[in-house]
Amino acid sequence: MKESVTQTRITPAPTTPVFCTIVPPHILGRLAESDDPAWHEPARRTLEHDALHRTRRTGLAAQARAPQEARAAADKPNRTVYDAGHQQDLPGTKVHSETDGPSKDASVNRAHAGLGATFELYLKVYGRKSIDGAGLPLDATVHYGEKYDNAFWDGQRMVFGDGDGRLFKDFTIPVDVIGHELTHGVTQYTANLDYQAQSGALNESISDVFGSLIKQYALNQTADQADWLIGADLLAPGVHGKALRSMKAPGTAYDDPQLGKDPQPATMAGYVQTADDNGGVHLNSGIPNHAFYIVASALGGKAWERAGQIWYDVLTGGHLAKNAQFADFANLTVQAAQTRYGASGAEHEAVVKAWSQVGVLGK
Amino acid sequence: MRIHIRRTGGFAGIERHAEIDTADRADAVDWHTLADRALAAAHAAPPAGVPDGFRYTLTVDDRTAYCTDPQLTDDQRELITRVLKEGA
Repeated sequence: MKESVTQTRITPAPTTPVFCTIVPPHILGRLAESDDPAWHEPARRTLEHDALHRTRRTGLAAQARAPQEARAAADKPNRTVYDAGHQQDLPGTKVHSETDGPSKDASVNRAHAGLGATFELYLKVYGRKSIDGAGLPLDATVHYGEKYDNAFWDGQRMVFGDGDGRLFKDFTIPVDVIGHELTHGVTQYTANLDYQAQSGALNESISDVFGSLIKQYALNQTADQADWLIGADLLAPGVHGKALRSMKAPGTAYDDPQLGKDPQPATMAGYVQTADDNGGVHLNSGIPNHAFYIVASALGGKAWERAGQIWYDVLTGGHLAKNAQFADFANLTVQAAQTRYGASGAEHEAVVKAWSQVGVLGK
Repeated sequence: MRIHIRRTGGFAGIERHAEIDTADRADAVDWHTLADRALAAAHAAPPAGVPDGFRYTLTVDDRTAYCTDPQLTDDQRELITRVLKEGA
């Protein structure tokens, strides 16, 4: 029991995940809705157990800090899930709050668990209390629209469609998609990068980077164990592809008669000039995505530790301009690597090499 | 009347488009009313929108206007949904 209390404290230094159930919650959520009792019974029990465990931990922590100020509550997420009921009015009807047990609705459970996984990474690894750094409650809306093929951040909450079932499955399924959306919130409260052209592609890339790190942290994977995919498990059966984006090999995530071919470039040689998609923010994000992958792979180990720390330092350091270009961001990561790990460290060298390899900085 | 809808952006960043020609349709008048209302409430230039939200370009004959999720009027939503579903 003592250990549980210890786990709730902030440890800004890199740690191993507390979020350490062997099967990640988003998979549990899926198993829990399975028709086969062999799958759903144990999954539902585990979800219930986890909820109970959380409640106990909350109770203990509350006792431990009883006379202390209420600010300590920011060490825990305060999650609320709404159901849009297939309409498009936000936020929808409130269906789940922080202290509720598992819902019968797997989308609700996945959203709740994904918000928790995101909160956990930012708190345990970077010492950040929620997306604004001050314990902001985390809200999600599920079942937005009819067969709606998208998820987005509306400035206040993350919003998820069910997918049409033909091309895309439920957007709450991949935990990195949940992490991606909430990271738009972190960016909004920090560098607030303009969602246009290169600064927009950086905004997108930061969401992919931390979305992927949230998944890797939840699965306790090293850089070489991670799949570096965004939206794996999102493509419906029969679609030719692995995911929506690949940070390891941008441009190779899918090639399908319906979806077309993954159009992401990996280097500046393939930079796409377009007026669509706010200047190709979901296309050109492949370039900084790939740079992050190269840094994390060169350093090895847990990507959220050194590579993630460098990126986080730049995002939150106060020097990243709203309209930053790729080269501005790259130069700041070089400086951040030097400040944190020294000019002769492997980190500095890895960052310089990565940006050079993707054609953003000179050799 | 030609009604063309283009959707870009979104989490996947995959473009979709479809068009309806109301010339041979019995319900052409309804389409015209809906399209006029949707366009009247849309923007002359693409709005900034929200991260990962869909962006829509509505073109009716030679008029073009823009709107984004989740700030659509009911008319815009109905027009976009119907054209993307029924159009070619």
